Amino acid sequence: MTTYTICIFTENTFGLLNKITILFTRRRINIESLTVSETERKGVSRYTITIKHEKREEVEKLVKQIRKVVEVLAVFGYLDNEIVYNEIALFKIATPIGTRPLDIETVNKVYKAWVVYWGLDYVVIEKAGDEAEILDFFRYIKPYGILEFVKSGRVAVGKTPNGLVEFLPEEAHWEYYL
Amino acid sequence: MENHSTMIAQQDTVAIDTPVAQEIPATNGKAVADNPRILSGAQALMESLIAEGTEVIFGYPGGAIMPTYDALYDYTDRLDHILVRHEQGAGHAAQGYARTSGKPGVCLVTSGPGGTNLVTPIADAIIDCTPLVCIIGQVKSTLLGTDAFQETDIIGVTTPVCKWNYQITHADEVPEVLAKAFYIATSGKPGPVVIDFARDAQVGAMTKAFEYKKVESLVSYKPRVVPKDEHVEKAADLINNAKKPYILFGHGVLISGAMEEFKAFVEKTDIPCASTLLGLSAIPIDHPNYMGWLGMHGNYGTNVLTTQADVIIAIGMRFDDRVTGDATKYIRQAKVIHIEIDPSEIDKIIKADAPVVGDAKEVLKKLLPLVKENNHAAWKSEFKKYDVIEDEKITQRELKPEGEIKMAEVVRMLSEKTKGEACIIADVGQHQMIAARYYQFKKPHSYIASGGLGTMGFAIPAAFGAKKGATEREVVAFIGDGCFQMTIQELGTIAQSGLAVKLIILNNNYLGMVRQWQQLFFEKRYSYVELQNPDFITIAKGFGIQGHTCSDRENLSDSLDTLLKSDKPYLLEVMVEKEENVFPMVPAGAAVADIKLEC
Repeated sequence: MTTYTICIFTENTFGLLNKITILFTRRRINIESLTVSETERKGVSRYTITIKHEKREEVEKLVKQIRKVVEVLAVFGYLDNEIVYNEIALFKIATPIGTRPLDIETVNKVYKAWVVYWGLDYVVIEKAGDEAEILDFFRYIKPYGILEFVKSGRVAVGKTPNGLVEFLPEEAHWEYYL
Repeated sequence: MENHSTMIAQQDTVAIDTPVAQEIPATNGKAVADNPRILSGAQALMESLIAEGTEVIFGYPGGAIMPTYDALYDYTDRLDHILVRHEQGAGHAAQGYARTSGKPGVCLVTSGPGGTNLVTPIADAIIDCTPLVCIIGQVKSTLLGTDAFQETDIIGVTTPVCKWNYQITHADEVPEVLAKAFYIATSGKPGPVVIDFARDAQVGAMTKAFEYKKVESLVSYKPRVVPKDEHVEKAADLINNAKKPYILFGHGVLISGAMEEFKAFVEKTDIPCASTLLGLSAIPIDHPNYMGWLGMHGNYGTNVLTTQADVIIAIGMRFDDRVTGDATKYIRQAKVIHIEIDPSEIDKIIKADAPVVGDAKEVLKKLLPLVKENNHAAWKSEFKKYDVIEDEKITQRELKPEGEIKMAEVVRMLSEKTKGEACIIADVGQHQMIAARYYQFKKPHSYIASGGLGTMGFAIPAAFGAKKGATEREVVAFIGDGCFQMTIQELGTIAQSGLAVKLIILNNNYLGMVRQWQQLFFEKRYSYVELQNPDFITIAKGFGIQGHTCSDRENLSDSLDTLLKSDKPYLLEVMVEKEENVFPMVPAGAAVADIKLEC
């Protein structure tokens, strides 16, 4: 199984998430992670979807099918070595009085994770990185008592000299946030 | 748990705070009369339809769409509305209309069951690339998501089966959305679009003057019509160097109106060609380069010789599994040129060596000057050898049988009586394949059937729609006794219109195609395929349609004459051989070379 990251640029309209995900459902492809956000261009959304698949040609067919959705502006499919990618995780760790104190130096220096909130008897630690790095930190922090753990989907940018938005249709007068 | 209840409370707050769309009382066409340029959403819909050149609407009224029907009352001089008997009938009639008139079919139905009843035709239209604009009523936007009376999430239901859909919740959106809808439905690879029209948007007044601008391009949707030169050149190169080139053409030739260009291309290159089911009639059947049709019940030589061609030129077709049989064994030896408007079809089933994305007509225009004149007489004659075998083993037996009437002789006799110029509608099953095999098509747009979806019940409403779209043509539908009972209520629509639609039931008292499969592949275990049929003629007469039954070969010719001479709708029921099988046949999943000529 190979991991593929599919980046989709769409107009920001109602129900589009459904129009896109049903294409995965129909082909029995499970979505491993999904992130949607607005881009540097107003009214343009960017979906980052990761899937695992054995056959590259099937993924290519899927990409072509996604491109067919009327509101989709552009679709790109990537292998892991073609992108820079990250995820972000939040860990809520119990710190009641009398328990082993957190080794903040190790958390910071070894695991590059940061405490982003101090509660009375808990802290929230943010850890960004790829799946393996987050899992690594998970294993380290587990003995302290994880009250809650949540991880985002993957975000990714291509390893190309251009921005992907440059591939979007030209004749529209895009309004930039940047 | 505490956290959860907080979340729910927040959601409730959001719901209450959501601004409620402005309520505007029903106008009955009066309130807006003070300022004639300010229209209600429903009136804006009528004006938009007229601006798009719509002449006919196939529909059925009901609660949520009533304000639109009220507006329609004032537009009956410009918009012809056909009241069907079931929303499925509206959809199939619109499909038949679209396929003979070349215009998009327009449907108007109510919310909930009105919309869900239309889902089958929408799914049928997307797979057969038929342009439809389906306007479906919806409850007031303030009631959305409340399980209101006749509320169905029709956007959610239709998303997988339509080309595009949109929910209108304000009258101001109407002209813009309709322009987009018509453009999307008819451009590129045509297909059905769905407009979910909330009741308050129908009754509400526009806040600006009505202005209609046709859409001619969209930022996110750009079908490539004109092909890239380098792709066409590569294709031409392959064609010019081919020893045994072979053209497989489909519905795309008819949709793009490329019949002239296609004929010129075939004649210049002298390449043999074969049709898919929906490509039938794109070139006259007696053209010397036309070899027959492809697929499961297609011709013998056309199927087998796909294994010998060195270059396959696929034009406006998508290598459906009913054409390819086992796709892993299909045209492996050949270089493939795939001319197709939808890029997602390229490499989907068969890898293309030279893909050409573009409209068939535009591609053929560019290709024609690049290809050399050629002579493929020897290669063409190989098809004839197979024709002799097929003729001897199947066709003669079917056309000159003894005993009970066979479907094939009915179709062929009608073909002769109409000189191959009628528009043939077929329902789904054995009679559909027989109609395709034995009618000798001379004019384009003459075979209309549910190809991709195989929707039983297609023919009665589609025949009506086809006649509506081409009143000058003789429209004859071949319908099985099973199919006939799926949309039998549309006899009422036909009777009310008075249009001279001709219906022929080929009655074998069986769900014939399923029975054939049970005989061949399920050891003759006939599981629920025999029908106890009603008296079809009495039913037709109940609807006000004349008809009669023909059970003897001696009466067949006279019966068909009576049918054809009628200037009103007419039903002819022909009792045919009960356990007739359609051959040739490529068993499902087998390679096309394993085509069977008999049991």
